[in-house]
Amino acid sequence: MENPFAREPRPSVSCLWQAATGMALLFLLGLHFVAQHFVAAGGLRSFSDVVSYLRNPVILGLELLFLVVVTSHALLGVRSILFDFGLSARMQQRVSKTLTLIGVLTATYGVWLTWVIIQ
Amino acid sequence: MIPLNPPRIKRAVRWFDVRHRRTGMWAYSLNRITSIILFGYLYLHLAVLSILARGPGSWDSFMSLARSRVFLSLDVFLLAAILIHGLNGVRVVLTGMGYGVRMQKLLFAGVMLLAVLLWGTAAIKIYGS
Repeated sequence: MENPFAREPRPSVSCLWQAATGMALLFLLGLHFVAQHFVAAGGLRSFSDVVSYLRNPVILGLELLFLVVVTSHALLGVRSILFDFGLSARMQQRVSKTLTLIGVLTATYGVWLTWVIIQ
Repeated sequence: MIPLNPPRIKRAVRWFDVRHRRTGMWAYSLNRITSIILFGYLYLHLAVLSILARGPGSWDSFMSLARSRVFLSLDVFLLAAILIHGLNGVRVVLTGMGYGVRMQKLLFAGVMLLAVLLWGTAAIKIYGS
C-alpha cells in the first residue's frame, strides 16, 4: 500500500515544530507529572518542597524548557485550528504574530513566576 | 476582524462532526477536542500557580482544597485528555513518517487501549494518594 502522506506537500516548519515539541512533551510532561504529582506525598508538593525542588538547577532548566515547549505546542495547535477558518494570507500572518506575542508573554510570565518562587 | 459567515464556520467545525466518518476522522476529532481541553487547562494551571507567588500560607491552604475528591477527579479527567492526545499524537507522527500506515486502525486501537490502561493505573494512584 502506498503511503498517502508521501503525496502531500513537504511539511512546513511549524508542522515539524509541532511534531518535535509533541515528542519532547512526552518526556517533559511525563517528568513534570510524575515529579509533581506522583512522587510528592499526597500528590502535591508543599510550598517549601516546591521551592527546594525548583532550586535544583537541572530541574529548573527542565521545567523552563517544559514551559517553552508546551506553550509553543499549544499555540501552534490554536493556530492550525484558526487557519481551518480559511483565513486570508494577511489574516494568517496577523494570527501568527498575535499568537507569537501571546507565547512570549506566557513564557515571560512563567519565568517571572519561577523567579519569584525561588527567591 | 474575521468575517464569521456560515460556510466558514461550517468548514471550521466540520471535523467536530464524526457521524458516518471513518476511524481516522474519529482520531482526528478526538485529538482536536482534547487539544482544546488541554489548551484551556494550560492557562488555568498557570493562573493557579500564581498562588505560589503569594507565599507559603496561600499555597498550603490551596493544597487542602486541591486534595479534595472533586479536584482529584478533575486531575483524573485531565490525565485522560493528556493520554489520549499524547498517544494519538505519537500515532500521527508515526503514520506521518510512513510507519504503520497499513495498520492505522489497529494502531489507533492500540494507543487508545494503552491510554485506558495507563489512565486506570494513574487514577488508582491519584485516588489512593
